[in-house]
Amino acid sequence: MTLFHFGNCFALAYFPYFITYKCSGLSEYNAFWRCVQAGATYLFVQLCKMLFLATFFPTWEGGAGVYDFVGEFMKATVDLADLLGLHLVMSRNAGKGEYKIMVAAMGWATAELVMSRCIPLWVGARGIEFDWKYIQMSFDSNISLVHYIAMAAVVWMFTRYDLPKSFRLPVTVLLGLCVYKAFLMECLDCTAKAILTFYCFNTFM
Amino acid sequence: MFEEASEVFDNMFKSSFPLTFIVFIPAVLILVSPLPAEAAHEFTVYRMQQYDLQGQPYGTRNAILNTEARTVEAEVLSRRCVIMRLVDFSYERYQKALRQSAGAVVIILPKNMSTMPQDIVQQFMELEPEMLATETIVPVYFALEDDELLSIYTQTLTSSSSQGSSSAAEVLIHTATANGFQMVTSGAQSKAVSDWSITSLEGRLAGTGGEDLPTIVLVAHYDSFGVAPWLSYGADSNGSGVSMLLELARLFSRLYTYKRTHAGYNLLFFVSGGGKFNYQGTKRWLEDNLDHTDSSLLQDNVAFVLCLDTLGNGDSLHLHVSKPPKEGTPQYALLKELETVVSSQYPEVKFSMVHKKINLADDTLAWEHERFGIRRLPAFTLSHLNSHREAQRSSIMDVRPHVDLRKLSRNTKLIAEALARVIYNLTEKGAPGDLQIFTEQMQVQEEQLSSVVDWLTAQPRAAQLVDKDSSVVSTLEYHLGRYLKDVRRHYVKADKRDPEFVFYDQLKQTMNAYRVKPAIFDLLLAVCIAAYLGVIYLAIQHFGVLYSLVRRITAPKTKQH
Repeated sequence: MTLFHFGNCFALAYFPYFITYKCSGLSEYNAFWRCVQAGATYLFVQLCKMLFLATFFPTWEGGAGVYDFVGEFMKATVDLADLLGLHLVMSRNAGKGEYKIMVAAMGWATAELVMSRCIPLWVGARGIEFDWKYIQMSFDSNISLVHYIAMAAVVWMFTRYDLPKSFRLPVTVLLGLCVYKAFLMECLDCTAKAILTFYCFNTFM
Repeated sequence: MFEEASEVFDNMFKSSFPLTFIVFIPAVLILVSPLPAEAAHEFTVYRMQQYDLQGQPYGTRNAILNTEARTVEAEVLSRRCVIMRLVDFSYERYQKALRQSAGAVVIILPKNMSTMPQDIVQQFMELEPEMLATETIVPVYFALEDDELLSIYTQTLTSSSSQGSSSAAEVLIHTATANGFQMVTSGAQSKAVSDWSITSLEGRLAGTGGEDLPTIVLVAHYDSFGVAPWLSYGADSNGSGVSMLLELARLFSRLYTYKRTHAGYNLLFFVSGGGKFNYQGTKRWLEDNLDHTDSSLLQDNVAFVLCLDTLGNGDSLHLHVSKPPKEGTPQYALLKELETVVSSQYPEVKFSMVHKKINLADDTLAWEHERFGIRRLPAFTLSHLNSHREAQRSSIMDVRPHVDLRKLSRNTKLIAEALARVIYNLTEKGAPGDLQIFTEQMQVQEEQLSSVVDWLTAQPRAAQLVDKDSSVVSTLEYHLGRYLKDVRRHYVKADKRDPEFVFYDQLKQTMNAYRVKPAIFDLLLAVCIAAYLGVIYLAIQHFGVLYSLVRRITAPKTKQH
């Protein structure tokens, strides 16, 4: 029943996107082609990011376990291109704010789903061996859908000129979090590990 | 959405034909791509013996496997792969698995046999011939234990023993959390190996003093036997015999190089193959030498044939004969000399003669000397075992620690002294019983014996695995060539129409253990995912309610206006 398992994972990953598309009213605006365009922009932005990273950031040859804070910070900064891409998509779409956000986020997230999750699922979930990671991967794609919607909304808010002054700072902070999310998680993880080893070392000495 | 999607695809098909290829060919390729093999654990398994001897089939017949794993405690064993550990192995459990026509039986052996308690080893040794005696279609495999295999075994054990009596809720939880294992072997069904030739080696030391000298033949078979061919190292039986033969060859070739000690006996050394399969090598060698050649050392004056079989341990020596030697014959002389040497130089050794008539109605012959006896050549076998039916002679538990090097070298010296006394006629010349010939420079070299036994037990030497290009044969040939002259190979191939022996392949395979979930799990998962999607749908449909709730919580001051 391994094809069945693949079907399970695929349904778990894909159906929320389908439901979101249908129920958010995008279908009434003939937004399918625009979502595909947003997806193409996603591909282009990813390609540029990869080329940039490959050219300007050679492989880090430090010792294992030493986390290169500066290097990883620079790499995470490249993710600003994501925000620029989202802004580009939204500015090309005329319409109400919600329409722009939803189109950009849907297209972006769907492109990410197709590119980064379909092939591992197809190749891995169909095999005899069972692994929980495929369910995890599908669930992860749900979370990234919500994440991209939020990110597109924050970008849109940032570009509005009639945004109240008191909202400027929280919006900027949220934007920063979006970009550096992975980097911050790694930092937290490293510091937690360091504190733990230090504590253990002290208790045993 | 589907209408828009179909519009897009219509445009794609109508306008740009090459684009469709670019889209479809990769899709088709991915669809038909073979699945990658990723297993929880991959390990080597060794299959039980499969051979036909004189038309009678023995051992297991099947080789392919693709079944779920279970242990013996489970209720239903048919078409499942039964995993057993050696410590839990018993004949009743094995029979239970066979009766329910299990898919396969895998017996897990510990990596280091010496850690096993002696009684379990002994019990298994005795069970081996019984397992082989019944021909079965259930493939039986042996695997060496490692940590992952042990964890697979324990997991299978918990799931097998919990079957049967448990409530529905427990079963439901069990299906979600437990891990089943699917065992799959690579490789094809086993088939008979055609044109397998068993190699034997002979060499000689010619005596001095005229024509028509009497010949003494020394024989040892080099192959080993056990319930699994790839695991049969045959240390005592018959690695000890071969190493002793090589050492005797070395000692007597040294004696024969000097004119003063060059005796009037021809010495013929024969290292035979196929010994555990009813002495096929010896049988064909005798036929070739006695029936098909005009003159051979075996046809003329043969004093006696001494076969060496399992001499690496124990404090007793038995001389097995099929006819008690008559007085005045060279065999009687050897018997007497052995008694003399034992009583005067090695009183701790118990020496006796065992008389067993050749029974031609038996499936297999008992000892190697019986082959010579059938052709009316006087022969005996020396062994520390009392009976040919002892389990030690054909067991996979017969590994290097079974050979006690001091006892092996003591036995070698004993036999060498007795042979020298016969060859040089020392008793008639009045030499005392405790005269030691093989001392100082002519000493039996223990390091030589040790290195030969170590080398022999480093690889499995089952007759199905040693073909004519094997390193075992060529190294033995080289060693014999250092001491003996006219070292020749002798091949035995089974007869085409009425084969005496047939060997089968697929004796060593790779088995993969895949972690699988039961089928109910997939259904359960589908139900859970459907429920989750239903919740999501409802949440999105009534998103407005959620939004106003959040607004009420985060901006309470607007309400109070």
